[in-house]
Amino acid sequence: MKRFFIYVLALLPLVYLLVRLFILDDVNDPIKYIYTITGASATVIIFFSIIISMIKNRINLMKYRKEIGLLGFFYTLLHLLNFVILDAELDFDFVIKETLDKPFIYLGMFAFIIILFMAITSTKMLYRKYNKYHKFVYLSLILITIHWIMAQKAISILQFIYILSILVIGYYKLLQQIVKNNRA
Amino acid sequence: MNIIRKKTWQINENEVTPKELFEKRRNFIKLGAASIISSGAVMQALAKEDFPKITLDFIKDKNINNLKLNTFEQITSHNNFYEFTTKQSAVKDIAHTLNTDNWKVTIDGLVENPMEVDLDDLVKMFTLEERIYRFRCVEGWSMVVPWNGFSLSSLVKKVKPLSNAKYIRFETLVDENSFPDQKRGRFGVINYPYIEGLRIDEAMNELSFLATGLYGDIMPKQNGAPIRLVVPWKYGFKSIKSIVKISFVEHEPMNTWQKENPREYGFYANVNPQVDHPRWSQNKERVLGSFLKQKTLMFNGYENEVASLYSGMDLKKYF
Repeated sequence: MKRFFIYVLALLPLVYLLVRLFILDDVNDPIKYIYTITGASATVIIFFSIIISMIKNRINLMKYRKEIGLLGFFYTLLHLLNFVILDAELDFDFVIKETLDKPFIYLGMFAFIIILFMAITSTKMLYRKYNKYHKFVYLSLILITIHWIMAQKAISILQFIYILSILVIGYYKLLQQIVKNNRA
Repeated sequence: MNIIRKKTWQINENEVTPKELFEKRRNFIKLGAASIISSGAVMQALAKEDFPKITLDFIKDKNINNLKLNTFEQITSHNNFYEFTTKQSAVKDIAHTLNTDNWKVTIDGLVENPMEVDLDDLVKMFTLEERIYRFRCVEGWSMVVPWNGFSLSSLVKKVKPLSNAKYIRFETLVDENSFPDQKRGRFGVINYPYIEGLRIDEAMNELSFLATGLYGDIMPKQNGAPIRLVVPWKYGFKSIKSIVKISFVEHEPMNTWQKENPREYGFYANVNPQVDHPRWSQNKERVLGSFLKQKTLMFNGYENEVASLYSGMDLKKYF
């Protein structure tokens, strides 16, 4: 049942995106809209995946952590495919040139590589070997946040609130780690 | 024999689909599609597409480049108007707070005939025209808009700039009751008032336009009612909205986006596919309503009309 809810919740943004794009047909700037929805969904899901261990005493979702992470990867992949297929129109020279040229894009690309690595090494066998590197998720989250801020022309007060909540989560996560280390 | 030379942005009258027919055709296609999937009620709703009534008298643009107009719906539901919100699709829902009653425009500075004039009286001084222009936003999206208004040069001629007037500075209304973001003071997204500027020779170019309407009706609030600038060869942010003040000055004015971020935005902001924005390429653009991109043209396709304004200038430096 929990799993069913997780999937429904996580796939809701995708369904919403598809309905807006193809049924309501009321999106003026489709490529940008796909960036926004897939990017925001990936960010929220991946952020949520690091909170799971924090809240396990209240709601235990540890069993689904891997799947939740993979759902985050799924949106990250859609986000990248939007860049390569629709935005760059499969012009790979352009993709490479932009990636090397624009900080905004190479930070995002770097974050993607980290998340891709985690997705690949999420199988039982590989996870045993590589799980210590999964701490890189924190680096990817920092990169994602910078990438997202850089995409804005100006930061509105709502976006500041979002950034603030990210910082609060980061702070608690750090606190938790310190407590854990002291116990050990 | 009297030969009328067509401007390059005009097309033959017979190439233009009359607006009424154009609308009918759109509705017809929509209705056709709807009849397959839905009931009479939905079809009725679709038939009432929200095009405005043509209320203005104007000289029609012949649309010589055969530009494909964006719909009224698209043009009025995708707006960068930070005085309201940074969310483009939300501006139309909250723009009703803009109070355009008794709107006055002040024209001052280095001119022989400064004036403070009611908008209605100002508009009456000029012949209204239609101008079908490409509109390219610095963010990478674009549209084609049928504006109504009058040429900026006709206004400049009327107020007679003094010889030391080298630039024109435009200013948007400041009114907390009209614009929610101005209420936020220091927490606003940008600093107000919004300022833009043009060189006098740019302002005198035949393309520079003061728009008081679009699609044949008065300007919707979200598009910069009641009067806005349109300079189609420059990025959209140069086309300042809801103008209350036009000043003739000697020195280059500091425009809002240059002030906010001088590394990314300059005074000229000419559309130029060869000069990238620091964060993204300007080589292509996303036409509103389309999944496919198209190549961005030098000076947004108005090279013949405006390139001479910038001969000898390094456009990478004066971006």
